[in-house]
Amino acid sequence: MEKFLDFIVRAGALDRRVIFAVIAVVVMLPLFFPLGLPIRASNSSQAVYDVVEDLKAGDKALISFEYGPSTMPEIHPMTVALLRHLFEKDVKVYITCLWPDGQFMAMDALEQVAVNQYHKVYGEDYVLLGYRPGAEAIIKGLVSNIRKVFTVDSRGDFLDDIPMMVGVNQVADFDFLFSASAGYPGTVEWVQYAADPTGVTMSTGTTSIQVNEVMPYVQSGQIVGILGGMPGAAEYESLIGQPGIGTSGMDAQSVAHIVIVAFIIFGNISFFIERRRSKKY
Amino acid sequence: MNGSEIFGAWIAVFLTLGIFSYLYKDNPFYKIAEHVFVGVSAGYWMAMAFWTQVQPNLFGRLWPVPEGEISGFFMKTWYGIYNFFGAIVPSVFPDGGINKGHGHDPHFIYLLPFALGIMMLMSVHSKLSWLARLGIAYTVGMAAGLRAYAFLNSNVLGQIKGTAVSFVDMPFFSLTGVSVFNNLIILVGTITGLLYFYFSKEHSGNFGKVTRVGIYFLMISFGASFGFAVMGRISLLIGRFTDLISYGGSTYNYASLWVLLLMIVLLTIWTIKGDKQATS
Repeated sequence: MEKFLDFIVRAGALDRRVIFAVIAVVVMLPLFFPLGLPIRASNSSQAVYDVVEDLKAGDKALISFEYGPSTMPEIHPMTVALLRHLFEKDVKVYITCLWPDGQFMAMDALEQVAVNQYHKVYGEDYVLLGYRPGAEAIIKGLVSNIRKVFTVDSRGDFLDDIPMMVGVNQVADFDFLFSASAGYPGTVEWVQYAADPTGVTMSTGTTSIQVNEVMPYVQSGQIVGILGGMPGAAEYESLIGQPGIGTSGMDAQSVAHIVIVAFIIFGNISFFIERRRSKKY
Repeated sequence: MNGSEIFGAWIAVFLTLGIFSYLYKDNPFYKIAEHVFVGVSAGYWMAMAFWTQVQPNLFGRLWPVPEGEISGFFMKTWYGIYNFFGAIVPSVFPDGGINKGHGHDPHFIYLLPFALGIMMLMSVHSKLSWLARLGIAYTVGMAAGLRAYAFLNSNVLGQIKGTAVSFVDMPFFSLTGVSVFNNLIILVGTITGLLYFYFSKEHSGNFGKVTRVGIYFLMISFGASFGFAVMGRISLLIGRFTDLISYGGSTYNYASLWVLLLMIVLLTIWTIKGDKQATS
């Protein structure tokens, strides 16, 4: 027994580089050999799906891209899945970006979904308004008059020359609002300056780390549903029946979590054994 | 696959592995990746801010393409200034004014933010740095005013409304849906959590017991935050590994494998040299 306890204490004092190496291996292995673990949609992901499902053909959805390459693995799969769902339902998609690199994320997602998969027409089915710096001031501008903030879209075309911009003047003209957010400015600012003042239905997709911050708005009904990180994306992919990057990463995610939990348990046991021994002597 | 894409993949692999190499210890590869990231981010952000905001929304409103012929001494002088700048940087001040789609007269009110912006830049000059305070004062005042209402509406009123839960016409217990039990947790959690931050009374006796419940709710919240943080970091790791695996294929000339090998060899040499120097 004492030998076993010694082993646990030694394991608790493991070099952190060994832990990094183990995590790297357990994340990498399921990427090569997928396990196919089942994915079940949570209530919050289901709520986002339901709200999009209720949109009719021709309805207008405003999607804001507030993330960049650093958080791409978490949020990009969910924006791709959401665009698939929206285009499947022939909803008109309007895209803004509050982060400079969000524009490139939007271009990549549109290339994958609007152009290659659904063959949608730019200016008639979707429009990329582009990036504007100014954070909440931009959201406030969009709420009062879109043309004050955007005179041209990301391609340099004048807004008045874009067919699907006819009659679209402010946030209140949209039927659905979605913020794909990795931080500030993002979901919280959209709730405060757009969704709450206008009453437009809003959903969000955020990084995992933001879920705790945004969840109170979901609980209070200020936001309808939330897609939280890669699991949220995987759940949405399963709901629309089109598995993508989110789904393929979930095996690695699950295995890594089990290993991390095991490390935490070992670390704690080791800590308590050591404390008991030091008290003894 | 064209050459530039393959080259881009090699750069991406180098920068990714360079950052990962910090897990071993601080080293030149990490330093290179870190400095490139900081420099590129700052430059990219600055260029984007200028071409998407300052040029079209400031200069474009001060010197738009005029609707008709420029007439009058003042307007001719105004556009004369524009032409002067246009001769120096024609890409920023194109010939004839900045086209914003619908012609309009110059909006001179934009001279105010222009002046405040220049005052902000004065912070680099030791004698004129006091001017920057005006710009900062405006920004702080505007942001505080802008946020006050939104915060009050969404974070105070909206959240109070959210905690005003019902206890009728619902099941007593449900694991995920709305139920009396779940609403009780919201109610107790909110009240005890708020009481924990009430410092005008000593946290002892019955009051102390109630605030202790508040601490437990806060600890559960911190635990959930930690769990989400771990989940997020693992997701990012999966994203990088997915890219490294795809860049390790023959399409990209086995970029991941070659860069990893080279990095391991060079790091080993660097470590051995460092050890020898430390010994001597």
